[in-house]
Amino acid sequence: MRILSLSWEFPPFITGGLGMAVYGMVRSLLKKGVAVDLVLPAKGKYFFSLRHPEDVDNLPRVVSQIGGEKATPHSMKELKDIIGSPLSVYQTTIGMRGFGGAVEDLGSSEEFGKILDTLNDEYYLFRQVLDYTGMTVDIGKEIGCDIIHAHDWLTFPAGILLKTILHKPLVVHVHATEFDRAGGAGDGRIHNIEYTGMKCADKVIAVSEFTANLIMEKYHIEKEKISVVHNAYVMKDCPVNHRRIFDEPTILFMGRITLQKGPDYFIEVARRVLEKNKNARFIMAGSGDMERQVLHRAAAMGLGTRFLSAGFLDRDEVEQILATTDILLLPSVSEPFGIAPLEAMSRGAVAIVSKSSGVAEIIQNAFKIDFWDIDQMASTILKLIENPREFAEMSKRGREEVANLGWDEAADKILEVFGQLQETAVC
Amino acid sequence: MLNIVLYFQVHQPRRLGKYKVLHIGSNDNYFDDELNRKILNKVSDKCYLRTNRLLLSLIDRFKGEFKVSFSLTGSIIEQLRRYRPEVLESFRQLAATGQVEFMAETYYHSLSSLFDEEEFFDQVGMHSELMETEFGQKPVTFRNTELIYCDKVAELVSQIDQFKIILAEGAEKILGWRSPLYAYSTYNANQLLLLKYYQLADDIAFRFSNKSWLGFPLTVERFVEWIERLGLLERDGRELYVNLFMDYETFGEHQWEDTGIFAFLEHLPGCALKNGHIRFANPRDAIDSINYQPARLSVKEPVSWADTERDLSAWFSNSLQSNALRTYHDLLKKIKRSGSKHLIDVARGLSTSDIYYYMCTKYFNDGDVHKYFSPYDSPEQAYVYFINVLADLEKRIEKETLV
Repeated sequence: MRILSLSWEFPPFITGGLGMAVYGMVRSLLKKGVAVDLVLPAKGKYFFSLRHPEDVDNLPRVVSQIGGEKATPHSMKELKDIIGSPLSVYQTTIGMRGFGGAVEDLGSSEEFGKILDTLNDEYYLFRQVLDYTGMTVDIGKEIGCDIIHAHDWLTFPAGILLKTILHKPLVVHVHATEFDRAGGAGDGRIHNIEYTGMKCADKVIAVSEFTANLIMEKYHIEKEKISVVHNAYVMKDCPVNHRRIFDEPTILFMGRITLQKGPDYFIEVARRVLEKNKNARFIMAGSGDMERQVLHRAAAMGLGTRFLSAGFLDRDEVEQILATTDILLLPSVSEPFGIAPLEAMSRGAVAIVSKSSGVAEIIQNAFKIDFWDIDQMASTILKLIENPREFAEMSKRGREEVANLGWDEAADKILEVFGQLQETAVC
Repeated sequence: MLNIVLYFQVHQPRRLGKYKVLHIGSNDNYFDDELNRKILNKVSDKCYLRTNRLLLSLIDRFKGEFKVSFSLTGSIIEQLRRYRPEVLESFRQLAATGQVEFMAETYYHSLSSLFDEEEFFDQVGMHSELMETEFGQKPVTFRNTELIYCDKVAELVSQIDQFKIILAEGAEKILGWRSPLYAYSTYNANQLLLLKYYQLADDIAFRFSNKSWLGFPLTVERFVEWIERLGLLERDGRELYVNLFMDYETFGEHQWEDTGIFAFLEHLPGCALKNGHIRFANPRDAIDSINYQPARLSVKEPVSWADTERDLSAWFSNSLQSNALRTYHDLLKKIKRSGSKHLIDVARGLSTSDIYYYMCTKYFNDGDVHKYFSPYDSPEQAYVYFINVLADLEKRIEKETLV
């Protein structure tokens, strides 16, 4: 079975959970003998031809137009030159241009009229999606596949087109919807792309029951079409022994500083904890539209050096910050999955997660609290930092649980979905 | 007589680097000295060397009739020693003419007069000593950071014997109907107060190259005419002081050479001295020249020369600034109690007012000025890096106290 996998993120180029999730599932699919051709936003007509589990790390690339010439990039810098930074998903800063071609194909699908209008918009991100779509369609036409696997809306236009052109089943994998990202109504144009993608798809995979329910409720996609496959977690790099920064218990918020993620709850919790116990440090890592507001609020509370902002972190910095974290707080208002708690738990931190998160559905050894219940979150933190024994116990159990939380089981579920579609296709 | 008192503020902060959370505990270099060196070089070449040379030649040409005064902060002197000693040497040449007065202020251009009296006395003492070693003058005039002044500042200054004069902003809100041209005395009558004539000073410092300003282009003749007219107000022969206080960087840096700013300065003394009623003076000259009993001026709320508000809002108006200042001053006290000489020096370097100025979030015109001076992308960034630095310093002092 050969899968054409379409993603906007992949390590080492990741900003959120998406890249890590695609990485984990692709590796397990490869282990199970599935061939994966991966198309990422690139600065040239490249795709990555993955055949062995280790390929997810060395990313052997194929230059499409030259007809399948294989080349393995040797340095990180070389890779960076090839792959457009996924940073542009939320921070449209880095340019990707010059795909050309294939744009004429965009008109060939009826559903596509409206989407095409959107992608022709001046807004930079849409132009990037247009470029990606054109390039991906060209590559897809050239190499073909058995199943198209598109992750999140940025790759849905390409998925839809390829399904029409290649007559192959389309599976859309929903890691997050515009409802989660926007924390409100969101962008109607993106809703339309998400809706069309799910409607055109043969199957929809949701990363949690939380997300599946949202898809049914908001997009009216029939229940039978949706499969829930929880994300798992695989540690990409063995954690290096990074130093601790503070002697005091350190509590981390890691994610976009935006309404959906509940950063305002994090500072309220910080204040409540620090009122009772000065002996703690709160670090906020990430960037986003609420960063300013949160900083001013923390300053107004007079939290001094007990509340620090680490800003946006790259992968290496994430490792360093996790190494110094004792408790990870995920107070998300809406979180389709939420990989940060698993990353933190695998390194020995204790996680406190919002009940409205996909990750809460699959882990046992974490505290699950309503995102609005700041008193409960604060008292849980106080209890943990004042009872080292209880902390150690929870930390140990969490670490073990995450270690057993492999992608293999999730990959089996994905394969089951793929298998059904292939059977239908054969009939 | 109309006394033109030219006073130039010479200061460059030692700017902090982009100090991240992950640097805490592993990096004790808080400053972006590469940037500091670059800026100092630029300003030295465009302004300091060139203007010093011009002033030296004017003092020479007008044989005792042309005078200027300066305040150089400890921050800039340390940086000049390190990167551009020849600039410091040219200030010493100016000092050697005897026509140039050097004033006292807080060593680090700090806000200590508002937040920490003990620190204020220490820093003023350090700075006076510096003036003596560098320029051979024991200052008799005090100017507080950014001309911040109120009765409380006067009270503090009165506790130091050496000062006879204090400079302040001639803001309407402290003068009311009165004119900044007269010398006043502090509320306790201990020092003379000379107040900046900000309309005329800002004509040079801010508006000189502004093409949409009615006074543009400003010629020396017109400027001197404006000054002459001020003299008509006084019919009883009382001494008037036209206090033109401004940043030294006005010359060549804020106002570029092609605006004609150097030519303006070059022709100012000759044109002004043609009028027999005008002379140049230093602040200290007022002690002898004043020929009337100065009126007392009480200033309850602090005034400064910063921004259109002329108050403390440039450094102390939002939550970032108040949390930063409070956290800093608490930490400074803690470090002083520990007695660690080395860390006290490090901590004092963080008292420079510019650090808090960069955190200012006022918008419109003043926001632009803040942005022009700030090495950071936003006030929030300035705050974040500074708090990280304090967290590191706090760790260091805790460690030393344990040992």
